[in-house]
Amino acid sequence: MDLTLAIIVTVVGASTPILIAALGELVVERSGVLNLGVEGMMLIGAIAGFVVQFHTGNPYLALLSGAAAGTAASLIFGFLTLSLSANQTATGLALTIFGTGFSALAGSSYSARPVTLMQPFLPVEIAAHPIGKVLFGYSFPIYFAFAMVVVIWYFLHKTRAGLILRAVGENDQSAHSIGYSVIGVRYLAVMFGGAMAGIAGACFPLLLTPQWAERMTAGRGWIAVALVVFASWKPFRLLAGAYLFGLVMTMELYAKAGGGVLSVIPSELWAALPYLATIVVLVLISLRRDASTNAPACLGKPFLPTN
Amino acid sequence: MQFRLEKRREPSQFMLYATPVAAVALTMIVGAIIFSLIGYDGLGAVREIFLTPLTNAYKWQDLGVKAAPLIIIGVGLSIAYRANVWNIGAEGQYIMGGLAGTGIALLTYGMTGWWVLPLMVLAGVLGGMAYAAIPALLKTRLNVNEILTSLMLTYASVQLIYYLIRAPWKDPMGMGFPQTRLFSEAARLPTIIPGTIVHLGVPIAIVVGLVAWFIMTKSVFGYRMRVVGAAPHAARYGGFSEHKTIWLALLVSGALAGLAGVLEVAGPFQRMVPGFPTNYGFTAIIVAFLGRLNPLGVIIAGIVLAITFVGGEVAQTTIGLPNAATGIFQAMMLFFLLAGDILIKYRVRRVVPQPQAGAA
Repeated sequence: MDLTLAIIVTVVGASTPILIAALGELVVERSGVLNLGVEGMMLIGAIAGFVVQFHTGNPYLALLSGAAAGTAASLIFGFLTLSLSANQTATGLALTIFGTGFSALAGSSYSARPVTLMQPFLPVEIAAHPIGKVLFGYSFPIYFAFAMVVVIWYFLHKTRAGLILRAVGENDQSAHSIGYSVIGVRYLAVMFGGAMAGIAGACFPLLLTPQWAERMTAGRGWIAVALVVFASWKPFRLLAGAYLFGLVMTMELYAKAGGGVLSVIPSELWAALPYLATIVVLVLISLRRDASTNAPACLGKPFLPTN
Repeated sequence: MQFRLEKRREPSQFMLYATPVAAVALTMIVGAIIFSLIGYDGLGAVREIFLTPLTNAYKWQDLGVKAAPLIIIGVGLSIAYRANVWNIGAEGQYIMGGLAGTGIALLTYGMTGWWVLPLMVLAGVLGGMAYAAIPALLKTRLNVNEILTSLMLTYASVQLIYYLIRAPWKDPMGMGFPQTRLFSEAARLPTIIPGTIVHLGVPIAIVVGLVAWFIMTKSVFGYRMRVVGAAPHAARYGGFSEHKTIWLALLVSGALAGLAGVLEVAGPFQRMVPGFPTNYGFTAIIVAFLGRLNPLGVIIAGIVLAITFVGGEVAQTTIGLPNAATGIFQAMMLFFLLAGDILIKYRVRRVVPQPQAGAA
């Protein structure tokens, strides 16, 4: 029972940052923009969140700083790709290279300095019972991630603004010709994606390892990008995908605990498993007939009004 | 005063080659300002990173050794990117090349003979190619995005190094350090200038660049890659199969990344260590773009990026600038370059405000 509980808690922790980052990227891609800089924005959010947590000890302020830093980073991408029509693939890569360097520089004087982990969101009395703990014992970002799945689904499918965003992603010329600002909508989407990636990054020092380490997001931003494809650009499938990956990422723990055949697998294979699983998942999704038809039609293409 | 963008009738050749130079210059200027603002010696940082490696003759050998892998990988990536095939897993292919070469070196440990090194190089090239074949297969068969697959394979390959040097390939005399034994003499890349660290990989890099330039400009292969990238529809009419192009792009870029990997492990490292992934595969992406996807440009860009690596180390010791600053300068170069791309297809015109017609 204790082991099961521990597993659930670990999986939830590992899944949350990927889910938050992927939700942001989903909105960005729905507007027709492919931002491959998620990993870089996450690292910038992680160092911003860490520094604020280190100096203030206020995790909510740390999450907000992560969001602000991620948004600022996303504006570099937005300016280059939206205002200057630069190649989105190359600019996203540049953002990731920049974020890696920037976070390493900003964090160079903070190595081996611990911060306090974020405390549970709800009063401890509610989470006293084991079942209560599994449901109510987590810190704020876990509930935020779940709420955002619903919010984003509602926004995209039930609101006028969401309809406009999808129109811009599906047919930018038509959206432009009926008077919507394609570039404006895309800027907002890119900034939202940056804020979400920043929050996701800040979750690493606040929820997982309470210190700063260079490249501490370890490719999770790229997994988030892959998950959006896996989820066919649908928020609820993203939820399922992120938790599937949380399970894969923490599998080593229970394989070791359970003993038997699984415990002889070298730890390096376990560490490589999330990346290999990403490839497997992409292959599986490509076998589905409707795989590519769900992609926003304008994804990755720069918008240049024809008139 | 307002500015407006006006489409050029033809892309500007001048801007194509002027913008990379401007990107480097702007990086130096803006970099100096930014690093001063955040409390470092900004001017000193730019001087040490960009100029000291050139003015200090003792640093030239480091430049050559750092530029060689960047050029070799960058040339391969430039060919792939020309064809719009986004191999960003060169780091993984570099690692697999290094591991394949290491395998041969350990297998032939203690043997002598001229054939050991060529065999290692062959293994390295094939290792890189085989690893790049995975995204090629998935892309052509199942239309799986090569960006994500090649990158995920990079993360996996790093774990493969850790496993091999921790367990089966571990140096028996290594006092517990996770690394292989030092390669025997026949498996080490010879230095070509006595008394320096300049190894055979340096001239190989130049030759790779020149040969690639010749092939890309003078052969059907080069024409195919350029046409498929620039005008996929026309290429289809011309009978160039898209799948074959994807395969070629990934195999060539993977082979060159593998070559760089085996030269690196047989040259500067001479054994496999956990620090073997040095991000050359990622930096080479900047090299390919800064060199305008032209092999000759890649040679120059490879040297420029090598300058920043060597200079970054200099700045670390002389003015205490953290090593991570190098990455920021490199990313800034790419940002400025991408921002300047718009000047190739558009020109900036000043808009003269029209006088308000007939008020009242």
